[in-house]
Amino acid sequence: MGKIPSSFRSMTSTHLVKKPTSCPLAPPRDPRNRIARRESVKISHHTDQVSREPLRNPFKTPDLSDAKSLFNSIAATSRIPLDLKFHNSVLQSYASIAAVDDTVKLFLHILKSQPGFSPEHSTFHILLSHACRAPDSSLSNVHLVLNLMVNNGVAPNQVTTDIAVRSLCESGRISEAMDLIKELSKNHSPPDTYTYNFLLKHLCKCGSLDVVYEFIDEMKETFEVKPDLVSYTILIDNVCNSKNLREAMRLVSALGDAGFKPDCFLYNTIMKGFCTLSKGSEAIIVYKKMKEEGVEPDRITYNTLIFGLSKSGRVEEARKYLQTMVEAGYEPDAVTYTSLMNGMCRKGASLGALSLLEEMEARGCAPNACTYNTLLYGLCKARLMDKGIELYGLMKSNGVKLESSAYATLVRGLVRSGKVAEAYEVFDYAVDSKSLTDVSAYTTLEATLKWLKKAKEQGLAV
Amino acid sequence: MLPQRLKKAVTDNPKKLGNLIDLVNLPSTLREFVGQSQISRLGCFMRVWSYIKTNNLQDPKNKNVVNCDDKLKSILLGKQRVELVELPSLIKLHFPKEPK
Repeated sequence: MGKIPSSFRSMTSTHLVKKPTSCPLAPPRDPRNRIARRESVKISHHTDQVSREPLRNPFKTPDLSDAKSLFNSIAATSRIPLDLKFHNSVLQSYASIAAVDDTVKLFLHILKSQPGFSPEHSTFHILLSHACRAPDSSLSNVHLVLNLMVNNGVAPNQVTTDIAVRSLCESGRISEAMDLIKELSKNHSPPDTYTYNFLLKHLCKCGSLDVVYEFIDEMKETFEVKPDLVSYTILIDNVCNSKNLREAMRLVSALGDAGFKPDCFLYNTIMKGFCTLSKGSEAIIVYKKMKEEGVEPDRITYNTLIFGLSKSGRVEEARKYLQTMVEAGYEPDAVTYTSLMNGMCRKGASLGALSLLEEMEARGCAPNACTYNTLLYGLCKARLMDKGIELYGLMKSNGVKLESSAYATLVRGLVRSGKVAEAYEVFDYAVDSKSLTDVSAYTTLEATLKWLKKAKEQGLAV
Repeated sequence: MLPQRLKKAVTDNPKKLGNLIDLVNLPSTLREFVGQSQISRLGCFMRVWSYIKTNNLQDPKNKNVVNCDDKLKSILLGKQRVELVELPSLIKLHFPKEPK
């Protein structure tokens, strides 16, 4: 599941009549919903114009009595009845600078002074989001808002849960989010799959696997909230990243038992797990399994497979899959070629890798910084310094940054072949182009020169 | 592989990195060259190297060798010709290890 774009995230608290998570990539809503209005007169006549003005917060200080009097003066001079949207934007603006309890007090003040104001979910969600984000070790403010909600006859729903969980997770309060989701599930409504998976992903990032499984079991047994295919993908990705492939395979069979059929994304995730551990045969098995199950591999599948095979030293097979990829209608990209080059360089076939660069450019695929660095590393490693220097010149004229491994190998190669001045020049480029920090660039240079001196003293052939 | 070993060395020995970037009170000879009373070993190296470049002190026949002018000679043990290979170790002489 994607992250909510930041433009959207800021709006979550303002206007949530619809679910925020059902379309995480939806374009930002109409900015008119959250404009900060300075004069009520403008609202009645020039709403559209006001909305195009840059947002300005009418509240200058977090002081509560100032805020109350400002609100009173707006309310007194307004010619039209103030609506829900207006009250929400007032609260939103004030919440952005004031503490939680002051915002709640302003809300109570509005509620008391405006008999026509009947707060809805959106109003409470502003307060709730604010309470969740406030730096506070306990959930007392959150409970305060939730009680306020219930007392005003507005029952927390799935959107409430979602906002609370997201706000808590984003401010790094995962265990509070876990407690709250259980509490809300018990008293009001269980989370939907988007909220559930969002929390799961955060939990995987910072909690141990035991905590994650405990949470899943508890949600399943107590509230009938079961993991879906996305949840399993999150879990598998997590265990693959911690190199626990046995657990990944157990999860694959578990998701089959739960009645899910793996999709392309899930297969790619498993394959990535094998590939990062250089297990080429297993990656091929996953590929064949996909074909068997009738899941069509995509570009990511092929790139992952070619990467994995190259990494485990099976370049010939990787090239074969490049062919298969083209036949399946996927044009290989810079990632594909770079993986292949990496494999060839590992095998010591750096010249072959260099010719692949020509092939790649002939196909209209532009190499990226990673491609150049891989090649440079390979050439210098194979002691093909002439080609390496030539490639370095090309990189320099294109302004391509050096990666630390390519830089170190190049410097070492130059020093070894007696080109100390050139090594200093590469050092200058690395520093000037901000490829590396001064410290790491210098440490490498110094260590290499020291190494040369020592080797010479010992009479070693260098 | 060199960079990995280096990375390990740097993260294992924060002290080693420290003596590269920590500001040090300079002896009078170096103070004159640098023009300030405190500098790190890395900063000093950069200063000397850029001095060499701006004054074209590299031997035109062999770029690996620096023909020192009087100013440079004063901080590099009075040598007439200095190889670039030795430059870091010569500069390091001005930055002795802190007594424990």
